[in-house]
Amino acid sequence: MTTEHSTATGISARLNEGLADEVIQTVNTPIVVLSSAGDILRFNAASEELTGYSTDEVLGQKIWHFLILDEEIASVRSVFERTIDKGAPTHFTNHWKTKTGERRLLEWSNKTIHNRDGAITGILATGLDITDSKAREKQLSQTRSYLQSIIDASPVAIITTNIRGEILSVSREAEHCFLCTENQVINSNINEMIPGFTDFLYNNGGKNGSKKSSTNETINRTQPVVAKRLNGESFPATIHISEFINGERILVGFIEDKTQHQALERRLEDTQLQLQHAGRISAMGEIASTIAHELNQPLTAAASLAGAVSLILKKGECGACKDATALLDDAVGEIRRGSEIIRQMRDFLRMRKTAKSLHDLNQVIEEACVIALIGAQSEGVNVDMNLADDIGMAPLDRIQMQQVIVNLVRNAIDAMHGVNEKTLTISTQKTEDSIEICVEDTGHGVSEDINKRLFEPFVTSKEEGMGIGLSLSKSIIDAHQGEITAKNKESGGCVFTVKLPVGVYANGNSNP
Amino acid sequence: MQTVTPTLKGDVFLVDDDMAVRRGVAALLSAADYNVFRFKSAEEFLEDLNNLDVNNAVLLVDVCMPGIQGLELQEKLSHNGVTLPVIVMTAHGDIPMAVRAMKNGAIDFLEKPFTVEEVTSALDRALSLPQQPALPDSSATRETQENFSKLTAREKDILLGIVDGDTNKEIARKFEISPRTVEAHRQKVMLKMNADSFAELIRMAVALNLDGPR
Repeated sequence: MTTEHSTATGISARLNEGLADEVIQTVNTPIVVLSSAGDILRFNAASEELTGYSTDEVLGQKIWHFLILDEEIASVRSVFERTIDKGAPTHFTNHWKTKTGERRLLEWSNKTIHNRDGAITGILATGLDITDSKAREKQLSQTRSYLQSIIDASPVAIITTNIRGEILSVSREAEHCFLCTENQVINSNINEMIPGFTDFLYNNGGKNGSKKSSTNETINRTQPVVAKRLNGESFPATIHISEFINGERILVGFIEDKTQHQALERRLEDTQLQLQHAGRISAMGEIASTIAHELNQPLTAAASLAGAVSLILKKGECGACKDATALLDDAVGEIRRGSEIIRQMRDFLRMRKTAKSLHDLNQVIEEACVIALIGAQSEGVNVDMNLADDIGMAPLDRIQMQQVIVNLVRNAIDAMHGVNEKTLTISTQKTEDSIEICVEDTGHGVSEDINKRLFEPFVTSKEEGMGIGLSLSKSIIDAHQGEITAKNKESGGCVFTVKLPVGVYANGNSNP
Repeated sequence: MQTVTPTLKGDVFLVDDDMAVRRGVAALLSAADYNVFRFKSAEEFLEDLNNLDVNNAVLLVDVCMPGIQGLELQEKLSHNGVTLPVIVMTAHGDIPMAVRAMKNGAIDFLEKPFTVEEVTSALDRALSLPQQPALPDSSATRETQENFSKLTAREKDILLGIVDGDTNKEIARKFEISPRTVEAHRQKVMLKMNADSFAELIRMAVALNLDGPR
């Protein structure tokens, strides 16, 4: 200080100084003045409040002796020295350690202060406490990455776009589904991948149409589309679009690839068609082979009788006998022709040859049940599937075996018509030398007189039944070298058991 | 083949569930000088078995009957060591069933309806064989083996198809040739194998193990 402080400028300067003091003291942000050696010269009220230290405690102390974290001392000193050296303002972010040991993060603006000669005498540092906002930021970024990982983990592909359809983000599943990376498609138009995506907004009645809605709202219900992968391949999908406002209108598309689903549906449909077809063919074959057998018996009797007469006549040695024998031989020839015609008809209509290959029996049953159980629920039937895990593969004709299952299951459901407690149990189990499939119902059971002839063709208790199902099932199980039996349960109802031998595995191509 | 002597040629145990068939076949066999015993089921035959003299006798049984079927009866007999030659009667064209019967040890099979010649030659052959338990004749003669080795690959394929019970049409479809060609091959196979009848061809195929797993 000089002696000129009594002059006007001096007064003014002192007034200014007082004002500056006042400002420093009242301002709501920590301000410190340090000497060029780092000693604390000023420590404002905000600093006191922040750190818990009083000005008296800190004046003359080197700031890095107590306020700076050990690990930050080096960098703080280096910034401090650079500021002194260069004389230019600097910015730095570092922590302060409060009296209670708490850490506060502060963003500093440092400015040198000079004496009248212009020499640098110290630093005025103004801090901004950013501890809370930093924490908020961190939390926000955590939330964001949390959200991102949920989005990426979603089995449904998620794509966000703006109102024009320009892609803003693409989830991992969407990358997977469209065979693209986010970088490849960002900012490109989603309508190229999902034709008409943005139109769904406007084509959806008046409510959400072109009118903006201020709340997050689902634009439409899930609807089917044909989407296009980046490699040009089209695939069936369903989409579901939501809209929300985040500064601008954002569209969120949830896309599900239905390729596999459709393939599965198609396979089931195929199976059903095959089963229906096989059912008709086999029913005809069964009828034909029954007729052939039934007709062949009297023909055999007739041919044998004619043969007998012919032999007797030959022994008689009368003149006319020779002619008679010749005629009888012709008669036998005609009988054989008739038998041949029947055989041809049977061959033409006979059941397709059993074509066995290894199949997962449980899966074969499950597929058949999907078809057989159509409508079971509406009839109030409880279905209990009890398939053993260790069944594994067995040599079967899949379609034929499914015909049997469908037959048995349908019969079981029909048998429970008009019964209060309807429970259908389908189970498999492995025994030492066989695999068993059981179909149990809680129906009326099988009457005594039907039971004896249950597996014969044209025997039925149903008004519109043909009596082919079970006889056909038996033919099929016979062709698998298996056994099919039926038993009334004491508790009511009936259980059909199919036993398939396990020993025939090696002989995969054996035909009946 | 007609026998002038009125002496009976042997006993035939006829098992068939159809009454008319039993009556007709019995009449035929009686006229052809066999002594015929009729049974309406395998069960009935088994019940009577102890009272029957199985020497110089043949069992002629239908494969398709309710209750114990022909094949099962055959198994029961061979299981009990009964030395009775077995001839099964099958529906016309049921070759797979015939093959199974032959594998089970049947001497022969007859497709219904049969002629006098077919049934008598089968019975006479059965009666002329030494009595032995009904076991499959699994050893092919050297002649049969040599004949088989002379078949062309296509002829062998067709023989396999026949043993599997395929019709000419099915074989034709499998090899993409016409059914007529199959029939021609078939005749050639019969000739080369020196088989007098279709049944004999099947018998040879069973002896050659052509019906086994493959």
